[in-house]
Amino acid sequence: MSSFDTFEPVLLEAAGIDDGHTIESYRSRGGYAPLEKLLSEKQPPEVVEMVKSSGLRGRGGAGFMTGLKWTFLPKDHPGPIYLCVNADESEPGTFNNRILMEDDPHQVLEGTIISAYATRASTAYIYLRYEYPKSWDILQKAIDEAYAAGFLGENIKGSGFSLDIYLHRGAAAYICGEETGLIESLEGKRAWPRIKPPFPAIEGVFRKPTVVNNIETMACVAQIARRGVDWFRSIGIPADPNNPRDPGSYGPKLYCLSGHVEKPGCYEAPLGITARELIDRFGGGVWKGRQAKAVIPGGISMGLMTEDELDTPLDFAGPGTVGCLGLGTAAVVVVDETVSIVDFLHNSCRFFAHESCGQCTPCREGTSWSLRMLERIRAGKGRLRDLDLLAEIGDTMGMMPGSTICGLADGAAWPIKNSIAKFRDEFEDYIKQTNPTGYMETDPVPALPIVTTH
Amino acid sequence: MPTVIVDDQEIEIGADERLNCIEVARRAGVEIPHYCWHPGLSVVASCRMCLIQAGTRNAETGEVSMIPKLVPGCQTPVKDGTVIVTNSEAVQESRARVEEALLIDHPIDCPICDKAGECLLQDYHFEHGQSERRADIHAFSSRRRDVGPTVTLFVDRCIMCTRCVRFTREVSGTAELMVSARGAKEEIDTFPGFPLDNKLAGNVVDLCPVGALGDKDFLYQQRVWFLKKTENVCGGCAAGCSIVTEHNQDTVYRLKPRENLHVNKWWMCDEGRYGWHHLHNATRIVEVSHRNNEDSQAIEWADVLRRLPKELTDAGRLGIAVSPMLTVEEAWMLCSVARTIDPDAYLAVGHVPSTGADESFPGGFTIRGEKAPNRIGVEMVLSMFGTVSESGTVPGWNDFLEQVRAKTIQSAWVTAGYPTPETSWCDEATAAPFEELNCLVVQDLFESPLSNRATWCLPAVGFAERSGTWVNCGHRAQTFEQAIRPPAGVWPEGRFFWNLLGRSGLYDPESIRKQIAESSANFAVLSGDVPSIGLDLRLQQVAGT
Amino acid sequence: MIANRKVLTDDMLARIEALASRYPTKQALTLPALHVVHDELRHVPLDAVVEIAELLDLAPAEVQDTLTFYQFFYQEKPHGKVRAFVCRSISCALRGGEQVLDHLCEKAGIKPGETTSDGNITIEPAECLGACDFAPCMLAGNDLHKDLTPEKADAFLESVGRQNG
Repeated sequence: MSSFDTFEPVLLEAAGIDDGHTIESYRSRGGYAPLEKLLSEKQPPEVVEMVKSSGLRGRGGAGFMTGLKWTFLPKDHPGPIYLCVNADESEPGTFNNRILMEDDPHQVLEGTIISAYATRASTAYIYLRYEYPKSWDILQKAIDEAYAAGFLGENIKGSGFSLDIYLHRGAAAYICGEETGLIESLEGKRAWPRIKPPFPAIEGVFRKPTVVNNIETMACVAQIARRGVDWFRSIGIPADPNNPRDPGSYGPKLYCLSGHVEKPGCYEAPLGITARELIDRFGGGVWKGRQAKAVIPGGISMGLMTEDELDTPLDFAGPGTVGCLGLGTAAVVVVDETVSIVDFLHNSCRFFAHESCGQCTPCREGTSWSLRMLERIRAGKGRLRDLDLLAEIGDTMGMMPGSTICGLADGAAWPIKNSIAKFRDEFEDYIKQTNPTGYMETDPVPALPIVTTH
Repeated sequence: MPTVIVDDQEIEIGADERLNCIEVARRAGVEIPHYCWHPGLSVVASCRMCLIQAGTRNAETGEVSMIPKLVPGCQTPVKDGTVIVTNSEAVQESRARVEEALLIDHPIDCPICDKAGECLLQDYHFEHGQSERRADIHAFSSRRRDVGPTVTLFVDRCIMCTRCVRFTREVSGTAELMVSARGAKEEIDTFPGFPLDNKLAGNVVDLCPVGALGDKDFLYQQRVWFLKKTENVCGGCAAGCSIVTEHNQDTVYRLKPRENLHVNKWWMCDEGRYGWHHLHNATRIVEVSHRNNEDSQAIEWADVLRRLPKELTDAGRLGIAVSPMLTVEEAWMLCSVARTIDPDAYLAVGHVPSTGADESFPGGFTIRGEKAPNRIGVEMVLSMFGTVSESGTVPGWNDFLEQVRAKTIQSAWVTAGYPTPETSWCDEATAAPFEELNCLVVQDLFESPLSNRATWCLPAVGFAERSGTWVNCGHRAQTFEQAIRPPAGVWPEGRFFWNLLGRSGLYDPESIRKQIAESSANFAVLSGDVPSIGLDLRLQQVAGT
Repeated sequence: MIANRKVLTDDMLARIEALASRYPTKQALTLPALHVVHDELRHVPLDAVVEIAELLDLAPAEVQDTLTFYQFFYQEKPHGKVRAFVCRSISCALRGGEQVLDHLCEKAGIKPGETTSDGNITIEPAECLGACDFAPCMLAGNDLHKDLTPEKADAFLESVGRQNG
């Protein structure tokens, strides 16, 4: 396997290049030639097979095998088939999609066109979050350039394949990053995720077969087409030979590093780098000479790792071994020793209460209830009992136990779960100190009005 | 036959049936609690109350493998070998948690909430909830706002099941209701200036599992545990929706639709739903009166029985207008009485009110323009008495009026019973020719230009005050029981005709029905028990009775 | 097409209709239409909702349902000429984002979520803006303000004041 010492960024190859976002720059770096080659030499099922054998797993957070997902589309469907590119990047701590779109939009576009060719999609919508106006302008320019160069539109390069790509603007709702929440939003409705089955591959946007893929996944597809399946598989952590169900963690990954580090930024490394390596090698270490108290491994939904868990490899399997939800978006956020875990959890609960779509009971009420408890604890009226209640919410709310429709609830639950399990003493001390006369109370107490959710 | 195992019970289902876990569990006598699912609406599986454990039993090995997580019963279809577990600890805990979640921010309104006594939140809390509150206390009472002219909303009681929103989008097709905002702050609302005012609006109140949506017509009128429920049929139009009349001490408080997949499915229209007030209108005719009655004393029914047939016999040729508001049994008895008095009596269907075309809604419900419940039934009864013309029709109201004007009948008995207290169904011009008759009997709910000319003015009763059978526009015969007694001193038409026929004892519509069934192939199927969803008279005929 | 057009200008209408060919349903134009109106008027008045609904063959409640879900569109009155989103998610909060938000609001004389009385600026908390590499950060219009400090916040407020007199 490639080591981190010798790894050269590919997804971020345009970083630092003036006008790297132009089609001229992209083509000079080898871009769009792979597309032309595929269009003339390979049929769509072969392209699906290529992506499947690369072992590429979706970079949006779920880590599902991309090529496999494409095979769920019905064969011989009369169409139209839709490809939705999820650029609604809203997971706290995550910004790699933004960098890909701003610095190398054509890489994203080429991957999108190849993916659309493979899935026989005739229209691709890039659902772009409202908060990325710069990405909007740059992407739209790149799309115009691609049309002008004949890589989009009717009968691309004489292949018989036609594709239109449209940008669709979001309106600041995190749940639009959920696959079927995105689809509902695209259709013009409130972004309430759909129950599954039917899955989008069978019945998606406008009731037609749909594939939803992340921006970074599209960039990987472009690189696989350019550099080959073997190259992709030479990077990362291979599948465990003793576990036939382990798909491995192949390919380069963009890790977003932020929080209490000297050098926050987006760093490309083979899948499997540890948090410690990432922080020390790329991030300049924990800032101000401090120690890390807790580290988020992949966006706040994934929960927390403690300082002694920082040697966990950040591949798809690693974070789960220390009780986190998964790799998620590989957004690593460092929390130093001066931060109160109560404040941390409050920030997380406030986020999820604000973003819960409100459709299903456990998430709508559970996110609100946990925020209220954190508000009350911070206001000096917490009780030890609250920790048990919070832990129970953390254990029971989510798609994994089956109690909710989508995974937002799991993301809301995991920080609660991990914080209470891994930092219980700190919670207890805080509660005892701030509410010395009432911390032993077990009966319900009067609710406080919430002031911080707008 | 496919077999589904519900809590260790084996339930066979039809090979072509498409059922979910809730439906199949019901057949095992197990009620899976749920809020947001409804057979007439799309499946959203958002309340999460119906979570159960599901799996499959291998047909060959008999080995059972369960899905590791809970699944919503409403969105899980069953097939041969499906295993459903509804009573495990995991399921019980899940239900308790959903109940707890719904009650966290629910206003303490039970003592002032109409829904108490038929509220699913209450019921499920009692059956499936926790005994102690664990969440912070937030004691408050719900805000209220009207969503339309007939429906009001207690905003904070809502549990976001979205049945009401889905109804207005999928069934009425009018989309007045919406969800506003996001997360725990969500509320049901309408757009300003576009209130909930479609003709099926009242159904959203039936759908609401809690006391959020309320019928303004019923609000604070009666506690539901005092209400007695009688299954009957709406008399508002020819659709003949199956309904339940809910009443107490001979007062109707509200009507609710009954599930009948052959007629109205789960719905009824507002006109029918709120169309019972005429029963308690103070201007109802409640006494028998005779034009020549100098004695101001009220006339006893015994006198009517004694005097009326003789007066009619002496009056010349008799004409009977058989109202489409009468039941099949009443119509038959009336015609029999008529032919006894005068073997040459002219029989016709009475006035059939109509507002024009039928009105259909996207969800499949239709309001009929013919505003009477039994025209077809009355026509079929008349055809038993040899009134059918060459073209296959029976005489109607216009034909009857012709007879009056042409003086080919000299006395007339007009049965009416239309629920029109304000605007009479018969105007002066139509009533005027009746002046010339030797004897006019009018049997109606409210005074009219016709009743003012009557020799005998008899009271009539409304839909909830009679029992019998109506045949709707789809030729479905539905039999129903009397719900309330009419005002004191009023004899329902059924009782009156029964006595005129010389029958003894209490009026027994069943015996009349069986007698009709024996004499007429059209009604043959009514010889047996009639199920509460009625019987299609045509199908049974084709089946070769 | 729209019976009583009071809010949607010809230009807005043209921009919305230009997008119609991108989607197989009219309802899919809802969010783009809301953006067209909101970008121009800084809010989507109730009348505009009625007009959009008529244009898209929807009930006004259906459009309003979508509008209110995002908690993003102003309706009663326009937001400030400048709308400043200050991030309060974890990466920015860890590097002082909440303090910057409080400082900004105090300087502007309003509470978070409010608009100054001269209508120049609205300051709101936002969830992760995707610029954690430059935390704490703020999005004002199309400009991303990076590595915010109280001093930079003051300078920003001054420049807004200068631009809008």
